[in-house]
Amino acid sequence: MGLSVNLKKKVNGFSLDVAWEIGNELTVLFGYSGAGKSMTLQMIAGLSIPDAGFVRINTSKLFDRSKGINVPPQERHLGYVFQDLALFPHMTALDNILYGSNNTGKSGRRESAMEMIRAFHLEGLEEKYPAELSGGQKQRVAFARALMRKPYALLLDEPFSALDNPLRIEMRRFLRDIKNKFDVPIVLVTHDVTEAYTVADTLIVYSNGKVIQKGKPKDVFDNPWSAEVEILVNSKKSL
Amino acid sequence: MLESSVLFSLRLSFQVAAVATFFIIVIGVTVAYFLAQRNFRGKELLDMLFTLPLVLPPTVTGYYLIILFGRNGLIGKPIYAWTGWSIMFTWHAAVLASFVVALPLMIKTTRAAIETVDKNLINASYTLGHSEFETAVRVILPLAKRGIMAGTVLSFARALGEFGATLMLAGNIPGKTDTMPLAIYSLAGSGEWSQANGMVILLTLISGLFLYFANRYSKRII
Amino acid sequence: MRNIFMALLITIGLPFLGTEIAVAADQQGIIVSAAISLKTAFEEIGKLFEGKYKGVKVTFNFGASGDLVRQIEGGAPVDVFASAAQKDMDEAEKKGLIALDSRVNFAGNSIVLIIPADSNIRIQTFQDLGLNQVGKIAAGNPKTVPAGRYAEEVFVHFKLLPAIKEKLVYAEHVRQVLDYVARGEVDAGVVYSTDAMVRAKDIKIVAVAPVESHRPVIYPAAVVSKTGKQGLARAFVTLLASEEAGKVLEQYGFKAPGKNSRQRF
Repeated sequence: MGLSVNLKKKVNGFSLDVAWEIGNELTVLFGYSGAGKSMTLQMIAGLSIPDAGFVRINTSKLFDRSKGINVPPQERHLGYVFQDLALFPHMTALDNILYGSNNTGKSGRRESAMEMIRAFHLEGLEEKYPAELSGGQKQRVAFARALMRKPYALLLDEPFSALDNPLRIEMRRFLRDIKNKFDVPIVLVTHDVTEAYTVADTLIVYSNGKVIQKGKPKDVFDNPWSAEVEILVNSKKSL
Repeated sequence: MLESSVLFSLRLSFQVAAVATFFIIVIGVTVAYFLAQRNFRGKELLDMLFTLPLVLPPTVTGYYLIILFGRNGLIGKPIYAWTGWSIMFTWHAAVLASFVVALPLMIKTTRAAIETVDKNLINASYTLGHSEFETAVRVILPLAKRGIMAGTVLSFARALGEFGATLMLAGNIPGKTDTMPLAIYSLAGSGEWSQANGMVILLTLISGLFLYFANRYSKRII
Repeated sequence: MRNIFMALLITIGLPFLGTEIAVAADQQGIIVSAAISLKTAFEEIGKLFEGKYKGVKVTFNFGASGDLVRQIEGGAPVDVFASAAQKDMDEAEKKGLIALDSRVNFAGNSIVLIIPADSNIRIQTFQDLGLNQVGKIAAGNPKTVPAGRYAEEVFVHFKLLPAIKEKLVYAEHVRQVLDYVARGEVDAGVVYSTDAMVRAKDIKIVAVAPVESHRPVIYPAAVVSKTGKQGLARAFVTLLASEEAGKVLEQYGFKAPGKNSRQRF
């Protein structure tokens, strides 16, 4: 089971053409900025429509151009963490997290939210507004909010890019905890080489709208399929 | 100085402006939302149509309103045939005139405010399972609140001061449709300047006050 | 580049050209403020005047007599003033706005009750205005419109006021009353018989106010005291009182300015 995509889209002179499939693992989409990684995430979430192709999670088709299927983002039941976290500035941390719930019972909702707060060590911060939280705290709220509904997959668009290095390292541990707790496909977009290497179960290398290699991190680093991949994986700094 | 006719005009002006502003908020925010969030053919034409009363002379707007709502007008005629009622020369006509000329102010400020809401916040709301309507109510509009407040204040002030279209549509009937601007016009026209003074000062102060608040809302001080 | 230059030249040049024309007119022209009920007749009399005094242009400013007095009071550069009632001219005289020795009565009029041509409400007399079927009645604003004052006098004469007070719609000048009736916005209106002629197709005259129900409608004209064109202004007023102008006025339904306004010229 897992997540399977086949996406084609042409926009503003840029052409995206990718197809891959992953299981319940942490997959990293890695490559230069503008290679089509975020675009891929948006299409999986339903925020953008491919020209052709399909998106399938487990046994349900979320999108299939040929069959005219297009499930709206509200009903895809996926968790998405945006690059700038997209926390609602006019809501408290607790309200942000509650917003992620589709539980109609008010007390049930509150209970699940409190569970999340405990799980993500956010006790005491419930009534604080995003502007009053630290970078790491905001992260955890964003994740808690996205995971409230126990989504079928987790889509992370460079969520750690605004953090400094020590925090980023901490976040990798955090990601591993999440992976252990929630057994679902996780797709992480990043251009940080170290991050890609350390957290990924599978690495998918993007370049100019195409996938140029897919495999286990060690395999990709040791056996790059092209000079381009070699350059990408060998850069000491972030791309 | 505050004789009954002046008090009547005062009350009428506020009544007309309040009712007009209510409709302006409901319709203005809705229209602004669709103009900001949706893309459809003829969108900019629609926007221009709504903005027209802002740049047209009020008498031209009044002219069009008479063509539409006069007893023999496109919309007025069937209404009269059906109910025996015509909007002309009633305080409802004053509300209509104020509504039409002040609506563009609301739409412009609200649309601008909505367009500055971070798209990621809207997308986040969708991915978290919330419909477009819920997103509009719980995310977009609260974040556009200041623009909506500024628009409301401006619209109310504009509605309070409406004259040209109101005169044409509602007429200047003492005790029925003479809002403050119309009453001042009458008093000045018949040489009763001292009676007009009170209302002139009042209108100036109120308009100034509204402008002050509108500015503070736009500058995010309130 | 050249197009922009041409456009600028025209945009800036045109106003100058315009003022040139205006200044030229000012040099040889007079401005006549007249009650709006005189509009059509005066436009023709104006052409008569221009025919007699070649090179002189008559510019008219029509409005409600009360408003016109206000304008002259405010310093409007008017040379001749003609009002639809003695009251407004009396006010102008009291305020020293006119040359006393130039004041002359030049026309009379009668007051009529009109209804929209396609109306199906049976109104045949002034008293019928009190009927329930009559919804709205248009009349001039008594404060500024002479026709409105005459109408009020007629209403008082027939003891209609308490009954029709709620139905009254005030217009800014008598031609607006005419327009309201012609367009069917109101069920009836009170105007001068001369106005009724202007839109005969759209309205029906149902009654003429009896002479005793209102003050005689006598139109006075005078030279404005602050005029810079004494000679031409006086010449215009003289023309107004002449037989020649009388014929034009009669054509448009005006009467001789006697006390009994039924008299023909």
